[in-house]
Parts: sequence; structure tokens; C-alpha cells
Amino acid sequence: MNSLKGIPIIKLDATPVMSHGNALPLLHEIEVLLDQLIATGKSGAIDLRSLPMLADDYEKLKEILGEGEVKATVDAMGPSQVRETAIHGVWWVTHFNSDATVLAEFIEITYIPEILQTHPADARMGLENLRSRLMSTSQVDKGETDV
Amino acid sequence: MNIFDILQWARGTGLQIAVVIFSVGVLIRLLEMWMLNRKPDLAEPRASGTLGGWRTVFTRSAPSMVLMKKAGLLLVSGYIFHLGFFIVLFFFAPHIRLFHNMFGVSWPALPNGIIEIITILSIGALFALLAHRIMNPVQRFLSTFQDYFVWLASLLPLLTGYLLLHTSDFSYSQMLTAHLLSVELLLVIFPFTKLMHAFTTFFSRWYTGAMAARKGVTV
Amino acid sequence: MSDDKTLAETLAQRGISRRSFLKFCASIASLMAMPPAMAVEMAEKLAAARRQSVVYLSFQECTGCLESLTRSHSPKLEDLIFDAISLDYQETLVACAGHFAEHILKEAIEKNDGKFILMVDGSIPLKDGGIYSTIAGRTNLDILEWVAPHAAAVIAVGSCAAFGGIPKANPNPTGAVAVSDIIKDKPIINVPGCPPIPVVITGVIAHYLTMGTIPDLDELGRPKVFFGDSIHDRCYRRPFYDQGKFAKSFDDEGARNGWCLFELGCKGPTTHNACATTKWNGGVSFPIESGHGCLGCSEPDFWDAGSFYTALSAPTKDVANWAAIGVAAGAAIGVAAGIANRSTKTETKRTRKPLTVDDLKGKPKS
Repeated sequence: MNSLKGIPIIKLDATPVMSHGNALPLLHEIEVLLDQLIATGKSGAIDLRSLPMLADDYEKLKEILGEGEVKATVDAMGPSQVRETAIHGVWWVTHFNSDATVLAEFIEITYIPEILQTHPADARMGLENLRSRLMSTSQVDKGETDV
Repeated sequence: MNIFDILQWARGTGLQIAVVIFSVGVLIRLLEMWMLNRKPDLAEPRASGTLGGWRTVFTRSAPSMVLMKKAGLLLVSGYIFHLGFFIVLFFFAPHIRLFHNMFGVSWPALPNGIIEIITILSIGALFALLAHRIMNPVQRFLSTFQDYFVWLASLLPLLTGYLLLHTSDFSYSQMLTAHLLSVELLLVIFPFTKLMHAFTTFFSRWYTGAMAARKGVTV
Repeated sequence: MSDDKTLAETLAQRGISRRSFLKFCASIASLMAMPPAMAVEMAEKLAAARRQSVVYLSFQECTGCLESLTRSHSPKLEDLIFDAISLDYQETLVACAGHFAEHILKEAIEKNDGKFILMVDGSIPLKDGGIYSTIAGRTNLDILEWVAPHAAAVIAVGSCAAFGGIPKANPNPTGAVAVSDIIKDKPIINVPGCPPIPVVITGVIAHYLTMGTIPDLDELGRPKVFFGDSIHDRCYRRPFYDQGKFAKSFDDEGARNGWCLFELGCKGPTTHNACATTKWNGGVSFPIESGHGCLGCSEPDFWDAGSFYTALSAPTKDVANWAAIGVAAGAAIGVAAGIANRSTKTETKRTRKPLTVDDLKGKPKS
């Protein structure tokens, strides 16, 4: 096998990946967390990348949770997809890098995911921003009336 | 010196030392025994001693119904441990890899699940045998330090090997090191303790059978 | 850039929002196996952090670690950490050269005495007075012993700095040693790997910035969050190991089916690193996923730990020949002992005096 041609080309059937059965325990954990959210108001999250998930587990999870009403995209140094599943209060949050690779993926059990909320410091900055815009607009308006 | 250094030593120099002591020791002891041969038996044999010898090697290896009734636990535990140890040693894939690497021969392995079950059974059998040794007054009286030491030396490779497959609470490197060192301990003490019976038992059975057969007795 | 502003303030001017912080911390928390709820707290702390001064020294190394760190991706979220630090000295990246560059190092040390993080990449040669690696006429040992006492903590980047690495490989011609062999009185975080995973380096820095402490370390000085699990523990091929399904060669049926590479020499079981979870090249894959066993590059002396293609259960040294020597020696000694025993037997037989009735009666022999 000294040349490239010496390496045989073998065609294989794409064999389906066996499920580890990791989807079901995860769904039960979601159930517990959702129950806790309702009872105590405490949010929960499951880090999907910390679990050995195979494609089948993933599909199973997606299939059972389903698609909900809310789909939001946050654009912060690469997109983040925030989708509510058909189970209200269960959110599927995927953070992408700027080259569309997945950075982190969570199932969040909450009324609204943290990343959608405006941070108080940002809100303060927004207020300053708005005021300065108002100021410049009113100045411009004044200038116009003067003419 | 960290665990990694010890592991490297155990996989290299340590194993070399252990194997040399083992092979030198076993050969010295076997040759010494063999060369202390008896006087030739000049009497006319009634039957072939060789054949009788081989027969006894097999008959004495098969379970005895009489013993089964008298000391069933001892007998069953003994069989489970000895067969289990043999199967685990020779039919676990990483072990076959070791023999392949050393001697260039390999053979099919058993699935890890089966090896695990056999390991647990063997460990259980060892504990049953220890319990019997301690609880039975006669056997306890006859037991010396060596008996307990050899018991521990046989247990450790099985135990560390089992834990190696279940590494959730232990680091694989640590367990592999412990496993290798325990095996090396077993190899080193082997020629100088009762563990030698792994070799001598079959010679002894053959000899007993051969002697009896020459006299026309089947044992 | 002014140093008294918080990171959030500095970055806000460049249009980087707090959501980016949250996202960054979420990915770091995920990577560090922290509870997802920690991300919010980390983001708050990171946003409030001041820029951290970092001095990066390169010794006996190949610059692969720096390549791993800086060329990991196009500008991305991970690079946020570069905004959080002020890399005050790095020979390869510094704009100026010669005396100016040396001056910058001196200035960086004086300005942030006791506060900067020292990153060291490469091993330190000690043989022949350390002459095998010098910078501006000074040996690596000299530079390290000068800079390290002024640092708050040391991060040994790469297997060379952490354990001596390839320069230390047998026969170690330059007498290379690890940073921890020289510096004894500073906290040292070992981030080994050849090279280390870039996000692991940034993760350690992020941990220092947000928590103000160094992460929990294992007995080899490595952060447990990244090096706590073995490759084997987290390997997607693990089920095949448990089932006893092994590839026997790199092009057989087992290899094509993605079975365990243990028998082909994979060092995954004894190697602690985050490759199996964080993966490489922006999450594309890691060596085992590409069909090659783990080399164990984040463990000490990996270069001398036997062949990369010998199974872990097989010996690293020649045992078969020693066994043969043992058998031969045993045979020779055994035969000699046997002959000696026989002559003892003959001698005993010859000199043996039979017991007589007189003996039993206690009468002296006449």
C-alpha cells in the first residue's frame, strides 16, 4: 500500500446510530424542573452538551418537546436561537459562534430566558442614550423653527 | 514521582523484573523436583502407567460427588475461582492484547460483560473460601500467614481489574497502576509460595495415577 | 484603553453588549461543567472586572501553543477574553523588537508588580548552565527566576511548560524541566496538551477574572474542571469498549464501524483532557473521532510512554525476551540445583549410619 491507489475505496451503508436512551431520563428531569418552576418560581437549566447525546436522543427530545409559539434570535457576537417548545415554560436555547458552530446548548425551564431580558445596566445606558437622542432631536427642531 | 511515572515503571521495568523472577523461580522449582526422581520401578507393570497418569489428571479435575456432599461450598467456590481466574486471565480482550504483544499469538476474546460477571463470581468465591478458612476450626488451625497472604495476592488482581472497568470513582491510571503492581506481586511470589500448585498439581495427579495404574489400580 | 474602567464599560463603547458576556459565560460554564445558573453570576463578575495584565514568556517551545490560542478561530466569542486581558508582553506578537521589546517586559513587571498573570510556554533547559535557550543573551532560567517572583500566578501553557514535554523526552539533551521544577512559591496552573485546547486556556483566564481565584487543581496541577475526566470517560466510542468491540487495524471492519481504538494504542483511558467534550477546530471533531487513538499528549512524559500504537495493557518494554532469558536462566540454575541436590542425596545415602538396637538403648558404639 505504497501509493494512494493502493488504499481501497469501500462503500458502506450508512448504518443508523443506536440510541443510548438518554432522552427519556432527560425528559423526566425537565418534568421535575418545570414542577419546581411552578411551585417555587425557581428557574432551571440543563446543559445539553454535558451529556453524551447521540443523534437519536436529540431527535427524540426535539420530537417530544415540539415547536412552540416563540422564536427569537439574539445577535450578540454570533446568533443565539431562543425557542419556546410546545411545552410552555420549556425553552430551547442554542448559542452559536460567528461561524455558526454551536457554542453551548441548554434546555431552560423558566418563564423567560435570561438572555432575552434587558440587563438593568443596559437599560440605564439605554435611558442615557435615549435622552441624548431626544436632546439632539429637540435642538434640531428648535433650529428648524428659528429658520 | 507521580502516578504516571509509577504506571510507566509498572508497564515496563516492573513487569520485566516480575516476569524474570517468575520464570526463573518456576523453572528452578520444577527442575529441582523433577531431578529428585525416584528409583526406577523394576516390577512388571500391570497396566500402562502413562495412560493411568493422564486418566487421573482428568478424573481428579472433575468434581467429586462425595466431596460435593461433604464440602459443597468449598468445592463449588474452588471451581468458580479457579475457572474464573483462568477465563478472565486468558479471554479478556486487553489481556489477549498483552499476550499478542509478548508472544505474537492471539485468540478471540469474550465480551467485557461476561468477563465482568465472571470476575464478580470469582471474587465472591474467594471471599466464601476465606470465610470457610476462618470459620472452620480445623482449617483455621492449619492456616499459616502464607495462606492469607496468597489469598490476598490472588484477590487483588481480580479486584483492581474489576474496578478498572468501573472507573467512575477512580482514575483509570491509578487503577491500572494498582492492577499491574498487584499482578507483578502475584508473579513475584508465585514460585515461592503455594501458588506453585498451578503447575505442580497436574504433575502430582499424573504421578499418583501412574503409580496406581502400574499396580493395577484405577484412581 | 484606560485601565480603571470595567470591562463592560470598555466593551460597551465597542458595541459589545452584556448579552455577549452572558453568552460567553454560558459557554464557559458549559465547558467547565458548572451548573448553568452560574453563567449569570459569572457574567456579572466579568462585566465588572478590570483588565488583567498578562505577561507571556516563550522558552523551549515550538509556538504551537500560541498558534492554538490565537489562531483558534476568526474573531469570535472566545476572543472576548482577549479584550479582558492586557497582553503586555509576548515576543511573537509584540510590535517592536530588540531593546524596545525588552524594555516593555521590564515596564510591564514594574507597573503591575505582584498583580500580573505570567503565562509560560515551553520548557526550561538547565544543562550546561541553561545555554541551550537564551533570549537577548539571557538564559530562560534567568528570565523565569527574574519575572516569576513578581507575578500573582503562573499558568504553564502546554505540556513543555507543564511537564517538560518533548524537549524533556529521552535522552533529554538540554536537561529540560517544567516550570514547577523551578518555581516553588507561586500558584502554578498547568494547562498541558500538545497543544492545549484554546478554550481551556481562555477558560482558566476567565475563571481567574470572574472568581479571582485559581480553579481547583488535580495532583498534577491541572484544573479539575477540564482535566477531571479521562478522554475514555467522555468518549463517544466508550460503549464499544464496554461491549468488547475493538478495531484491530486502522482499515478493518471495526475501524469502519467506529469501534473502540484501545487495541490500536489509544491512550484515552489514562489521559485527562477535555478533547472529547470541547473538541477541536471550533467543535469539528477530536482525534478519536477522526479515527486515530489518543496520544496522551496532556500527560507527563507522553513521548516516552511506549509506542503510540501499543495497547495500554501491553508492556512498554520488551518483556518476551526477558521472559526467555528468565526461562533459560531458570533452567540452568534449576539443573545445577538439581545436580547439587542429587549429590547431597548420594552423599547422605553414603554416610548414613543405620540405627541399631544399641543406639536405642543408649549404649555407646563399640
